[in-house]
Amino acid sequence: MKILHKIALAVLLSTALASVFARYIAPAGYEQQFRDEAQAGPSLHHPLGTDELGRDRFARLVYGMRVSLFLAPLAALLSTILAAAVGGVAGFCGGWVERIVMGATDLFLALPWLFLLITVRAVLPLNLSPMTSVIITFALLGILGWAPAARVICAGAKQVLQSDFVWGARARGCGGLRLIRVHLLPSLRPALAAQFFLSIPVFIIAEANLGALGLGVSEPLPSLGGLVCELQDFVMLRPEPWRLAPLVVLIVVIGAFQVLLSKQEVHA
Amino acid sequence: MLRSLSLALLRFVVLVLVAGLAGATLVRVAPGFSSDEQELTPGLSSESIQAIRQARLADGNIPRFYLHYLNGLLHGNLGRSQSLNQPVRDLLRDRLPVSLRSLGFALLLAWSFGLAFAVGAFRVRSRWLVMAADSSGGALISTPAAVLALVFLMMRWPPVLAVGLLVFPKIYRYTRNLIEECLEMPHIVVARAKGVGPWRLLSWHVVPSAIPQLIALVGVSISMGLGALLPVEVFCDLPGIGQLAWTAAQSRDLPLLVNLTLVVSCLTIGAIMCCDQLRRVVGRAAA
Repeated sequence: MKILHKIALAVLLSTALASVFARYIAPAGYEQQFRDEAQAGPSLHHPLGTDELGRDRFARLVYGMRVSLFLAPLAALLSTILAAAVGGVAGFCGGWVERIVMGATDLFLALPWLFLLITVRAVLPLNLSPMTSVIITFALLGILGWAPAARVICAGAKQVLQSDFVWGARARGCGGLRLIRVHLLPSLRPALAAQFFLSIPVFIIAEANLGALGLGVSEPLPSLGGLVCELQDFVMLRPEPWRLAPLVVLIVVIGAFQVLLSKQEVHA
Repeated sequence: MLRSLSLALLRFVVLVLVAGLAGATLVRVAPGFSSDEQELTPGLSSESIQAIRQARLADGNIPRFYLHYLNGLLHGNLGRSQSLNQPVRDLLRDRLPVSLRSLGFALLLAWSFGLAFAVGAFRVRSRWLVMAADSSGGALISTPAAVLALVFLMMRWPPVLAVGLLVFPKIYRYTRNLIEECLEMPHIVVARAKGVGPWRLLSWHVVPSAIPQLIALVGVSISMGLGALLPVEVFCDLPGIGQLAWTAAQSRDLPLLVNLTLVVSCLTIGAIMCCDQLRRVVGRAAA
């Protein structure tokens, strides 16, 4: 099992490093067109060939990984902050505040997330610039993905507030913001960290689903979802199997996250 | 009992109404709401474009729109789809059975496989079986629903199988963890120490302890199944509510979107609350 964890960690580190040093690994860039070599097969210059517009598939994959692997953690951070605020307030206040907040959380949890995401994303203007579409897509993931984590944080906050050291602190006159800052937040840090890491693969998959449905990151900026969208031309997959590379990378990256987070998932 | 049921019913109605309002508000406040693709039609006169904008502005006042909608709902009128130019009631009548059939079949499949693999992992105790189930479950969880739908479309396999496979790993993992947790309970440890056989242990001790949580999972799995159904219906051209939601979302069809939000909320919240009630009854009976 330890070997599997090491392999997963190595996979994630290598993909992260490849994304960071994308400029050196794929100097062609994601939008440069090689018009004489459109739809070319793999070669030394283009390890995964080129697409219909003559763009290097390997460069687009490496830059796509950069978009997905760096913005998914930001979206996860946003959703974790929201979950900490919502769940923390509900757990700290208790009573009717908790009932109302948890009712809203239940509502969010009950609605199929992808359904909600597609509805909101589809209403946004279609002529967004690529950078704006990236920000909006991942911001939406972060804003709409707080509910499961909020439930866990609320339960955690209630548990912490009933512990002996908090009673002791309260007896000494510690209350309000100081109690939250000194006792509640440090105790909730492991749960918050677990929720943050668990959200990352969920958001990468959600972006891939949105991209496949044509509602993800706009062209020419690549993302794993946008690259997966190209698989719709599945007639070409059998003669050109290298087109499957984005899907393979996506499954390997998410699989690596699954392996590393399996224990946290059980405890969360 | 009656009081608890009435409270649950009241909670259900409030949650569904709030969900409908939230859906309408989300669509309304999104920055692209005021734009309409019809305005790009080259043959339209400035008066026609003005009329389209006026019609959209009329939908813009959310409280008025929602109250008007609820009034219609009480009289059995769900409004008219702007994009498909058909009564929403007819659209739902045609599409809902397709989705419910697919969902039912997919959940049956997911639960059969999930329970079979989880019980198999407990009963057989084969490392290879566990590894095979874990890795196939992991691969399915790592695959976006849209991609699996494309694979099924390419291979011409039944699309509902894809929905079942997308829900299966979550049920398998949860059930397996639940069985393992149950096996650590003191009375089950004692039963094992006394030499109770595995089938008897499962049916007499593990299942009664795990059943309330499994009932809760049934409710959640309906929500998971609906989420997975959406891309599968879109890619595999299944004429269900997922595809309808996709069409409505693309054409910014507010009446259809609000109705679909209500229908999906009714299905998921209703299922979760029914399972919750059943779980309480079973828990009470077990106690």
